[in-house]
Amino acid sequence: MNCDTTDHVDGIDRRSVLAAAGAGLSFSLSGCVDTVQSVVSDAEDDQISLSLVTVPDDGNRETVRIARHLEQNLEAVGIDVTIAWRSRSEFLKMVLIDHDFDLYVGRHPADFDPDFLYEALHSTYAEESGWQNPFQYSNPTFFDPLLEEQRRADGDERRERIKPVLRALAEEKPFDPICRPDEYRVANTRFDGWGDGHLATRRGYLGLESEADAERLHALVTDARPSQNVNPLSATVDEQGTITDLLYDSLGTLVVTEDDEGVAYDVEPWLAAEPWEWEPTDEIDASESVAETDETKTDADGMLTATVTLREDCTFHDGEPVTAEDVAFTYQFLKDTARGQSASPSPAPRYRGQVSAVENIEVEDDYRLRITVDAGTEVGERALTVPILPRHIWWNEIQDRIGDLENFRAPQGRWGLVETNSVSPIGSGPFQFESQSERTYLHLERFDDHFSRRDDVDLPEPTVDELRFTVDPGSTSSISRVESGDADVTSSLLEAHSISDIPDSSDVERLESPSWTFYHLGFNTDSGPCSKTSFRQAVTQLIDKERITEKMFYGHATPLSSPVTDEWVPDDLAWDGDDPVTPFIGTDGSLNVAAARAAFEAAGFRYDDDGRLRDRY
Amino acid sequence: MLSEVLTRVVIVVSILLPISLGLFVGRERLATTRTEWRSRIRLSGPAILVVSSVLLLNRTVRQDGPGIGVHMTEVIRKIEGEFVLIFQEVATPQLTAYFSFIYIYGYTFLLVFPVMAYFALSDTKMFRRLLTAYAFNYAIGLVLYALVIAYGPRNVLPELIASSGSGTSTMLYDHSPEFKYLTREVNRNVNVFPSLHTSLSATVGIFAYLTRSSYPKWLPVAIVLAVSVIISTMYLGLHWGIDVLAGLALASFCVALSCRIVGRWSLSGLYEQLTEFDRF
Repeated sequence: MNCDTTDHVDGIDRRSVLAAAGAGLSFSLSGCVDTVQSVVSDAEDDQISLSLVTVPDDGNRETVRIARHLEQNLEAVGIDVTIAWRSRSEFLKMVLIDHDFDLYVGRHPADFDPDFLYEALHSTYAEESGWQNPFQYSNPTFFDPLLEEQRRADGDERRERIKPVLRALAEEKPFDPICRPDEYRVANTRFDGWGDGHLATRRGYLGLESEADAERLHALVTDARPSQNVNPLSATVDEQGTITDLLYDSLGTLVVTEDDEGVAYDVEPWLAAEPWEWEPTDEIDASESVAETDETKTDADGMLTATVTLREDCTFHDGEPVTAEDVAFTYQFLKDTARGQSASPSPAPRYRGQVSAVENIEVEDDYRLRITVDAGTEVGERALTVPILPRHIWWNEIQDRIGDLENFRAPQGRWGLVETNSVSPIGSGPFQFESQSERTYLHLERFDDHFSRRDDVDLPEPTVDELRFTVDPGSTSSISRVESGDADVTSSLLEAHSISDIPDSSDVERLESPSWTFYHLGFNTDSGPCSKTSFRQAVTQLIDKERITEKMFYGHATPLSSPVTDEWVPDDLAWDGDDPVTPFIGTDGSLNVAAARAAFEAAGFRYDDDGRLRDRY
Repeated sequence: MLSEVLTRVVIVVSILLPISLGLFVGRERLATTRTEWRSRIRLSGPAILVVSSVLLLNRTVRQDGPGIGVHMTEVIRKIEGEFVLIFQEVATPQLTAYFSFIYIYGYTFLLVFPVMAYFALSDTKMFRRLLTAYAFNYAIGLVLYALVIAYGPRNVLPELIASSGSGTSTMLYDHSPEFKYLTREVNRNVNVFPSLHTSLSATVGIFAYLTRSSYPKWLPVAIVLAVSVIISTMYLGLHWGIDVLAGLALASFCVALSCRIVGRWSLSGLYEQLTEFDRF
């Protein structure tokens, strides 16, 4: 009894003493830390130090070379640089999910339509993980309205509305586009019809004819990730989305056509049975809304609605029917992968821009639905290119993960569902998943019930029984395998250094496709010196884009001042031998160090006696 | 593709082995081995068991990193800078061909031949020591691979290694894709510290010195081959100088350890000790 009391009292005492001590300690420490900091400053030991994330040569030779070019010039102006080398998926995790970087050099998948800038830069996404705004750039009063205005416009008006976005981007530099690589692939002439469809999209693999009725199409990829994970939601796998495009259908499909006047990008009906008409929206039924905020916009001003009719009797690869419910589910699910079960919504780390345009979906019957977008027709049609996911599979997956509703958390961009490779990759696309072997291959089989194979459907169809993607990590070796007939096509774009290895042979066809991806330097605008626009501008002036395209891409790339395809770039931003806004400080690849240092001083930074750039003014 | 390379390795090594067995080991020793091989295997049983289980473990563990390591590429690069590029200055197509051949075929031969040569000795001590040293090399190397995640120079300084010498490339990877298949199959690209090519070659070199009285002609050959393998790892941009230093240290450690262990406790000796202990 006695013991008990003592223990009890003792316990309380100890706890309260600890609490008091803790409070005192943290109070005194906070004073301490300040002192330490000022001592350090007196010692002039706060050189600006930046971390630069990139992939090794096995991932992408060009990014390594750009990163080292930048490192050299940053060090020349007195900035300390630490490079972090990570595999492709770890690189994307560090940049997109963890935001653990000051600078990174990488290739952006971008998109055929400049509205990808909406998801890349809108301040709503500054806190989110995924392809949406990895720069954590936030400029709600100036930038967001520009991004929103362009998406509500169409045609020539939109072209005008894009210009201020691009001009602001060139000044603000949350990221800096460096160059656009020429997109080369090689194919064996065993098959006919290469180049009718873009090989980064599903149509590149459909409608191919072979004289000998080949049963297998053998494609090579330099990237091992498709052999590991084909989760369509994951931000760290297959950024181009080619595999997803084959496994899953979308309402509309991208058709890239090239003629003398240039390249045209159209979204044409795919899972939708007939062309859709966009009409001004009358009103919105709030109960059906898929809007992101609780306050559903009932003001339908400026919105457009399309009635989409699905092809009938389509099924997923497991035999379940594809209905309007699946389509509605997909758009709701991409906006919140936890479907309202978690404390806060958990949007998917991809397709954020596409689905953000969708305001409302009304299911009319099994095959008809009305899609309302808060955007013009161009952006509206881009929203129709997301993969349609089977509700029965993904809804089960969510429920399996909920388990205990009280403690259920779905951390945005990083919870199990959007990362796992365990969800069966069942879609309704022209090819179905058969098997994969890590770091070796991904094997797909033709989906015999796909609508493109119907007699009354005039679309390119899967002609081969099997489509195998084999991992071959080198472009040079991939080219010789295609030449020898061991493989049919290189699915990944060829690295610049290997393009000169393409043989002049009647067995091999060299394919050049329109390209929209670009190499870029990304900044973490959230903290450190990179949060200052003037600092970012000065850093971008250390990059010799012209030289990079000549020396690192052997001329197989175009230097960029704007990250969009040429037809969108205003004349005053067009490349004129140098970046019109932030030209390289130097000539022929060598930096004018004195002038570059002056640029950092003009940006408000100063140098210490040892020539190191200092953090403080 | 991979099987073609493996076949070629097997062919080259099986041509080299009989020649060198005749040259260095001699007919007499081979003849006695034919009569004594059973008892020698029995005596060496534990060492054979240990090395085969380590190799088996090596095979399964190396492909997937356990995810506990620390990224060290930048630390290594900051310490040693662009040291390995000095080999690029002397690069010629002939040297590249030589070192590529040595890296794959010479190395395999260098590891396999002493196993046979020491088995052909009546005293199995050296045979057991060699196997034990191999096992230690792999086992410790495996632990270090798990702890240190680092890319080799070719992954980090590609442009310098790709465009050196007289316009030739020493990038094994660009122009001899079969090597890529082989190395990819046996290793992950972040397993560079330490260089096991270095440590195992140096192990063989040290053993060649220790057995110089039995195999005097093997010593110079082993030294030349071992030094060539060690240089090839840097010449081809596969390893940093630091990996090579660590490999040399690992080799000395493993040889010393195997010499201390093997012969000190033999299983039969242990059995005797135990039975003796029982009597008290």
